[in-house]
Amino acid sequence: MKAQLIRELTALLGPKGVLSQAEDLMLYEYDGSVEKGSPDCIVFPGSTREVAEIVRLANRYEAPLVGRGAGTGLSGGAIARDGGLVIAFSRMNRILEVDAANLRAVVQPGVVNLDLSRAVDHLGLYFAPDPSSQRACTIGGNVSENSGGPHTLAYGVTANHVTGLELVLPDGEIVRIGGKNIETPGYDLDGLLVGSEGTLALVTEITVRLMRKPEAVKTLLAVYETLDDTTESVVDITVRAITPAACEMLDGFTLRAVEDYVHAGFPKDCAAVLLIEVEGLTETVEAQAAEIIEVCRLHHAREVRVARDAHERDLLWKGRKNAFGALGRLSPMYYVQDGVIPRTRLPETLRRIEEVALKYDLHIGNIFHAGDGNLHPLILFDERDRAQFARVVAAGGEIMRHCVAVGGALTGEHGVGMEKNELMPLMFTPEDLALMGSVRAAFNPAGRLNPGKVLPMGKACGEIRVQTSAVSTTAPA
Amino acid sequence: MSQPAQASLTRLEEIVGATYVLTDAAELDARQVDGMRPSAVLRPGDAAQISEVIRFAASEKIAVIPCGGCTKLGIGSPPSRYDIALDLTRMNRVLAYDPRDLTLGVEPGARIEDLLRCLSEQRQFLPLAVPFSDRATIGGIVAANSSSPLRHSYGGVRDFCLGMEFVTGEGSAAKSGGRVVKNVTGYDLHKLLIGSLGTLGVITRLNFRTFPMPSAQGTFIASFSDAEAAFGFCREIAQSVLMPHMVEVADPGAAHFVFAAETPERITAEQWSVMVMAAGQPAVVDRHARELGHMAAGANANEFVRLSDAEQASILARIREFPRLVLEAAPSAMIFRLGVVPTAMAPLLARLGQMAARDQFDIAALTRASGVAYVGFLPKEGEIAPFAALATLASEVFQACHTAEINANAMIEWCQDEVKRAMGGIWGPVRQDFALMKRVKNAFDPQGVLSPGRFAGEI
Repeated sequence: MKAQLIRELTALLGPKGVLSQAEDLMLYEYDGSVEKGSPDCIVFPGSTREVAEIVRLANRYEAPLVGRGAGTGLSGGAIARDGGLVIAFSRMNRILEVDAANLRAVVQPGVVNLDLSRAVDHLGLYFAPDPSSQRACTIGGNVSENSGGPHTLAYGVTANHVTGLELVLPDGEIVRIGGKNIETPGYDLDGLLVGSEGTLALVTEITVRLMRKPEAVKTLLAVYETLDDTTESVVDITVRAITPAACEMLDGFTLRAVEDYVHAGFPKDCAAVLLIEVEGLTETVEAQAAEIIEVCRLHHAREVRVARDAHERDLLWKGRKNAFGALGRLSPMYYVQDGVIPRTRLPETLRRIEEVALKYDLHIGNIFHAGDGNLHPLILFDERDRAQFARVVAAGGEIMRHCVAVGGALTGEHGVGMEKNELMPLMFTPEDLALMGSVRAAFNPAGRLNPGKVLPMGKACGEIRVQTSAVSTTAPA
Repeated sequence: MSQPAQASLTRLEEIVGATYVLTDAAELDARQVDGMRPSAVLRPGDAAQISEVIRFAASEKIAVIPCGGCTKLGIGSPPSRYDIALDLTRMNRVLAYDPRDLTLGVEPGARIEDLLRCLSEQRQFLPLAVPFSDRATIGGIVAANSSSPLRHSYGGVRDFCLGMEFVTGEGSAAKSGGRVVKNVTGYDLHKLLIGSLGTLGVITRLNFRTFPMPSAQGTFIASFSDAEAAFGFCREIAQSVLMPHMVEVADPGAAHFVFAAETPERITAEQWSVMVMAAGQPAVVDRHARELGHMAAGANANEFVRLSDAEQASILARIREFPRLVLEAAPSAMIFRLGVVPTAMAPLLARLGQMAARDQFDIAALTRASGVAYVGFLPKEGEIAPFAALATLASEVFQACHTAEINANAMIEWCQDEVKRAMGGIWGPVRQDFALMKRVKNAFDPQGVLSPGRFAGEI
C-alpha cells in the first residue's frame, strides 16, 4: 500500500516532487531537537491545491501527515513520529504580496524568515519575529511554533504579527481565516492556529504585519564578575519598567565558546554578560540607554560597552545568534531547554540550574532571553554515553519542574512537540488537556495530522513520564 | 425554565446560596438581552460554583448568559434562549498583582476603573481605554473585545492577555496560557474567548501583562477639509519614524461628540480631525509636537493645536466613550464596528457617507488609524427611523465593506433589537470559516448552554 501511495503521489507531483529512497528519508528524520522518526516519503507541493490533493490522497491510505519548513525546530515538531508523509514546504517559498501602505505582506509558508525582512528592507520595513535560526527557518515554521526571538521582548512573538492564514484542513478543504484587517468579528481562529504546532491544519499562506525600522538603535554589552549581579540587573531593569527591544544573557561558559568561534570581542574572563538593545526615536534610545547603564553599574557591571557602529553591533548579535552552534563545538550533542519563569525569579533560578549541573555532573550553558524570563539552559552531552544521557534527561526534568513551580511555563518559544508533551500535566489538569484534545479533534478528528505532538499520548494518565524516545540521537543541523 | 422552575431554583440556591439567587423584576430587567428577560439572576462566588451551575444547566437544557456591569449585553444577535443571567460581579478580586514583574491576575467581575486605579498606584496600567468605563468589568471587556484607541501602540487584548481560566459549556473548569509574559505551552484556547460574547466559556480568571505609565503625554489635533487629506496625514505619520500611542480620525459627525463644550473654540468641529497622542519622556512628546506640526502644515491642515492637560483628559475620555455618547444622544442609532486597512478607510467612509446622505441619516465615524472604525448612523434629530429602512441600509453597508477593493470586516455592534430581528443578522455575510467556528463552539459547549444564538448562525 505504501508503494501504491508513493506511485500516486509521484503521478500527482512528478518524480521531483516525491522522495522515498532510504538515504532521502534519513535526511528528514530529524530536526533541531534530539528526537528522531522516519517518514515513509517526503513530498514537495508547489501550490495550495497540490497540498489539498496530497492530503486527500494520504487520507485514502490513512497515512499521517507532518508539515515541515526548514527543520530547525527544537521540539520535534517536524518529525514524522508515526511515519507517513512529510510535506516539505520548500517549494512554496514565494512572497506573494508586499502591501507597504498597509504594513502587510502575504507569503507562502516556505519563505525564509530573514528573506522577508530583506525583501522589504528598501521600504524601511521588516518582519519583527527574529528567532536565532532566522537565516534558515521558515515563516510557516514560525507560525506553527509561534516562534519568538530576542526582539520579541518589545515586539511580541509570531502570534502578534499574523493577521490571516490560508489553511488546508485534514480533510483537504481549503479555508481562509482572518486577512489583512487587524480584527475580524467572530472567534480568533488565527490566534488558535498560530502555535498549534501543525496539529490542527496545514498552513499554506500567511498574512503578516510588517514593522517600520526604528530611527535609532543602541546595543550595549554589560560585563559582570558574578551571575547574581547579572540577574539582579535584569530584575532591576524589569522592575524599573524599562522595556529594551532585547535583553539577552550569556554566561561565561557560553561566552568563551562563542568568542573562540565568532571572535565578536566578548570578554572571556567574566561570569556573564548582558546584551541589551534599545530602539526607537533617538530621544527614547538615549534616555533608555542612560538608564540601563546606570542600573548595570549599580549592580557592579565591570564594564558597559556601547557598540560604536553597525559593524560592532552585528558582530555582537552574530555571537548571540551563533551561540548554539559554538557550544556544539564543545560537545557532540546538546539538549536545549526553553522554560519560562517570572522575570523577578531569575537569580534564584540560575542558582538552581548551577546546583542541578553539579548534582548530575553535567555542563550547562546559559544563553537566553533574560528580559522576558525565557531560559535556554543548554545541557551538553555525548550520545554514546547512555548513563550520561539519562542524567541529562533527569536534569532537564528538574529544571522544567522548577520553572513551573515558580509560576512559569514549560516552553516560551520552542514548542511542546514530542519533547515535552508528556510533561504537559505539570502545567495542565486533565480537564485542561481534555478540552485541548476536543479542540484538536474539532479540526483533526482522525488525528493523522502531526500525531504524537503537543498533548500527552497516554490518555487519562495522571502520571508524568519523562521523554525516553530519544534512543538514538543526532546532532542538530 | 417554565414548568420545573421551582425545582430548578431550589437546586441553584443550593449551589450558590439563596441570597445569591435573585428573581425580582428589577434585577431581571437590568439583565435583559434584546428584550428577553432571564428567569433568575445567579451571583456565584467562585469557579467551582459556576462549574456546578453549568453542569446543572446542561442537564436541564437551561441557557445561561454571563454578565458583569451589563453595559454590553446589547452586543450580538438576539439569543435563541435565555434562562439564567450569571452575574460575576461578586468575583471581583485581584488575585495576583506583581508590579515588579508587570503581571496581573484578576477575577472577571473587577471593574476596569478599579483595576486601573489599583495599577496606577504603581504607575502602571492596562491599555484598555474602553467605553462604559465606570461600570464595565474586565470580563465583559474581554468577552466583547472592546476596542481601545491605545491599540495603536499596545495591540488588542489578544496581545497582552497571557492566559485565562474559564468554565466550559460542560461545566469543566479549564485554563490555557499562563502567567508569564512569554509562553507557547499548549493551545492558546483563551484567545478564542476574546470577543466570543460568552458563547464558549464563563471566564473565571484573567492574566495580563501590565505596562509602565509613560512619564509625559501630549495630545495634538490637526484638522482638515476632507477625509482624503486627514487620512493622508495619518499615512504620513505611519511612514515617519514617529511612534505615537494613538491616532484617531473623527469625521465632522464624530467630532461633534468628541469635542465637548468645554474644549476650546480653536478646535472647529465641522472638519475632519486627526487626534494624535504621544507619550514617553518629555523630549519624545516635544519631538512629536514639532514634527507633527510640520507634517500637518505640509498636509494643508487648517489648524494644528496642542491640547492643555485638561483638554487632553476631556477629549481622551470622549474618544474612549464614543459609542456610548452616540447611543445616549440617539438611542436608535446603528453603530458598525469595522476592521479596515488604512488605504481603504477614506474610500469606504466616502461610500458610507453617501448612503447616509441619501437615506437622510446623520453619520458619525471615529476611525483608529491602526485599522478599526466605529461608524454610527443616526436618525435626524427628532425623527424615528423605521426599522426596515435601517435593515436595508445595514445590508448595503455590508455590501460596501465586502467588495474586493475595500475588503473590510463589519459587524453591527449596536442597534435596537427590532432592527436586529428585521434584518436577521448583525454579523454580515457568513464567514468562510463559519464551519470551523461551529466546530470550535461544539468543542467548548456541545449542548448550547452558553449564550446560545448571540453569535452568527445558531452559535
